[in-house]
Amino acid sequence: MSWISRFLGTQRIPGEALTARQEQLVAGWRQLPDVDLRRSHYRCRYVVIDVEATGGDPDSAQPRAIAALALVDGQIAFRDAWQLVLEEPVAGAHAVPSSMAAAAEPLAASSMVEGLIAFLAFLGKAPLVAYNANYVRRVIRRVLAEYLGVRLQQPWLDLAWILPDLFREVDAGPERLDAWLEHFGIDSIKRHDALSDAFATAQLLQIAMAHAASRGFDTPASLRELEKARRHMRQSA
Amino acid sequence: MSNSAVETLVSACIRFLQAYPPFDQMEAAALRFLAERVRLLHYPKGARILSTEMGVAPALYIVHRGRVRAKSTVGLGSGEPTSATLGPGQAFAIGALMAQRPTFGAYLAQDDVFCYELSADDFFALTQKSAAFNLFCTQHIAGLLKQSQQQLQLQFAQRAAEQKTMNSPLAAVVKRDAVAVAATASIRQAVELMAERHLGSMVVVDDQEVPVGIFTLSDVLKRIVLPGTSLEQPISNVMSSTPATLPLAANAHDAALLMAMRGIRHVLAVDEGGRLRGVVSERDLFKLQGAGLRQIRHAIDAASSIEVLQHARGDVRQLSLTMLAEGVGAAEITQFISTLNDTVTRRVLELNLERHDLYGIDWAWLSFGSEGRDEQTFTTDQDNGIVFICTDIMDRELTQLRFLEFARDVNADLDRCGFPLCKGNIMAGNPELCLTLEEWEEKFAQWVRTPEPQALLNATIFFDFRPLFGRFNLAHRLRLSLFRQTRGNPLFLRMLAENALSVSPPLGRIRDFVTGADPEHPGTIDLKKFGVRLFTDAARVFALANSVEATNTVQRLRRAGAVMNISGDDLAASIEGFNFIQLLRLRHQHFEQEHGRPGDNLIRPDDLNEIERRVLKEAFRQARKLQARLKLDYQL
Repeated sequence: MSWISRFLGTQRIPGEALTARQEQLVAGWRQLPDVDLRRSHYRCRYVVIDVEATGGDPDSAQPRAIAALALVDGQIAFRDAWQLVLEEPVAGAHAVPSSMAAAAEPLAASSMVEGLIAFLAFLGKAPLVAYNANYVRRVIRRVLAEYLGVRLQQPWLDLAWILPDLFREVDAGPERLDAWLEHFGIDSIKRHDALSDAFATAQLLQIAMAHAASRGFDTPASLRELEKARRHMRQSA
Repeated sequence: MSNSAVETLVSACIRFLQAYPPFDQMEAAALRFLAERVRLLHYPKGARILSTEMGVAPALYIVHRGRVRAKSTVGLGSGEPTSATLGPGQAFAIGALMAQRPTFGAYLAQDDVFCYELSADDFFALTQKSAAFNLFCTQHIAGLLKQSQQQLQLQFAQRAAEQKTMNSPLAAVVKRDAVAVAATASIRQAVELMAERHLGSMVVVDDQEVPVGIFTLSDVLKRIVLPGTSLEQPISNVMSSTPATLPLAANAHDAALLMAMRGIRHVLAVDEGGRLRGVVSERDLFKLQGAGLRQIRHAIDAASSIEVLQHARGDVRQLSLTMLAEGVGAAEITQFISTLNDTVTRRVLELNLERHDLYGIDWAWLSFGSEGRDEQTFTTDQDNGIVFICTDIMDRELTQLRFLEFARDVNADLDRCGFPLCKGNIMAGNPELCLTLEEWEEKFAQWVRTPEPQALLNATIFFDFRPLFGRFNLAHRLRLSLFRQTRGNPLFLRMLAENALSVSPPLGRIRDFVTGADPEHPGTIDLKKFGVRLFTDAARVFALANSVEATNTVQRLRRAGAVMNISGDDLAASIEGFNFIQLLRLRHQHFEQEHGRPGDNLIRPDDLNEIERRVLKEAFRQARKLQARLKLDYQL
């Protein structure tokens, strides 16, 4: 699989044709209208995503777990959460109970497709948020392209860029999610677990939204501008 | 997949909540219901989480992280706002939620705050699902009521300290600037102003500020609504002209006199130029009289005749009514009534001793029943007796005759002072209740040995005896002998416990309250029979079983409870329940008497507001808990 085909996002694993029903579901997702990014933070739905994957290279890393959590009108509701565990976590005492993880073997491709379709449905066209979004985005995009032939179009926001701009007095390196959690006293349920980190990130997003709003950045679009400006400054510096 | 994510987050939320009361006591299913439905919200430092302006409280808030500053003006205005800091695990807006009203005061984020929020609908569903949570909420509200009562008491004490009396000049009595309208103002303008400022009356002045008329709320009905008068007419068409005025230097007595003479409720205070300076209402004067606790006490102690005491007794009544109106707690009011009634009774006894020679005999005046327990309400009759020592058995008849003569005079005088004669003849003038110490001891012993129904009934009245005058040690000796009897007779205590259990708290399985007990008064609950008695009967058994000398129900519960290993929280909850029922009784009697009816104890739960109903329910539950303890102790 060449990098070009991955970029175009049309290449799929051979032999994994979608069923008619699956095609229909994906088409349904494609037809969802784009979300208006100029609505207030407190009138829109964000989806916070985290992945756990083998290896640091997003182009080859295999996801072990994908977790997503919605932040609707500024509120986190526990019933509005989603995760896909692709591999049994290493014999931990607190293994996440999961029907799909119950199988000791890696997930079969067909159930992977089902899982990702559910994932798409959960995402909708909401703006997506992650800490270190570049890595998360590339893993997610690759997996979606490979299994579903889908290319995510919606904007991503990266708290690793946004938080340092909002809280300039805090000294946390760009990679340091832990430092931010510690600074704001946010507890992890279980550190380095995709769901737990997504939940912690969602709380960081709540804090970021409130502080950004007080500085006039009160929409997803404006947060995106904020991130762009900071990237631009850093890269040109 | 998505289920496992929800499960993980909900479990984490449950683990958090379980570290704090009342969630640590909550049933697993209810806790899960809560965790599945809460939403997590963030508030930056300084944000207003909830305040009065936001309207009816929309959710239950549980602090997850950070600190919340609660500024409260507990209920009724004028007091200084109190504030408290809430931390993780603490919940707020319970009172507002349950009453479905806006919160009093405001909740502010002191730093970055995360709150779990449960919508009002889910909150009510949770109170249905979880007995533990429901209990917590009702107790929380009871706590709020107590707080507001304490604050009111404080205000009352402050006002009393100001020592305004009926001799104060009107300048000191008028509280607020006079609000007035010009004679040309329309009725609409005048009434709108009254509504806006919560005024009961509106003064109409000419262009020199001289009052030319007064218009009161009761006029609205008679002169505007019923005749269908247009609101655009000038107020001068419907006002009462030539209002009663007094100079600012006149005193409150003058104002009261003027009101009485002209049958009016408002007097206008004017300066030398005849210009309006303030309004004095009947209510202002009524409150003034409330300050004179010490004067009443002095008046009683110095009273040289029954006629003077009659007045004092009236003052006691009025003062206790005022205290009730001021929101003073039931325990304090009943104690206060008992104390002043004791003072009056002692003075009556002293006055009668001047005419009856009882010199050289040891004796004591005893109170029984509610008076013996220091729990008198506004309607109370006499329950008293005499104990005396007779050294020579030959003198016994003669001595008793002397005491009976004395006692009958006292009973008659007490009647004249507002303590009606006892219909059941439980009075010292009854030869059965004017006995030597040995005879009393034998009488008590007889009841304890053969606990037939009448004996048990007597026990509930006479075993609550308390010395009021004379040799208090006689009462003490009687009490010790009573304990000797009851300790040696477990059967009696068991029978007394059974008797206490013969009436159950009027809590329904389907409806909140059982109100059908009295066919003549459907929809009511007798708060004496089905209320205070549940507590006093249980407390009496506890006290007798544990040799607690106190007769007062609250003190009995406290002292016996300590011996019986009842937890402090449980005790406090029972006592609050008892006090709340007493307060409802007092308020009801007050209301009945104000409307010229003899005060009874029949209240209608439907007339109570939501909070009161819930607290009353909780009070009955506390009574049920006391009864459960009796059942356990005596295997009933």
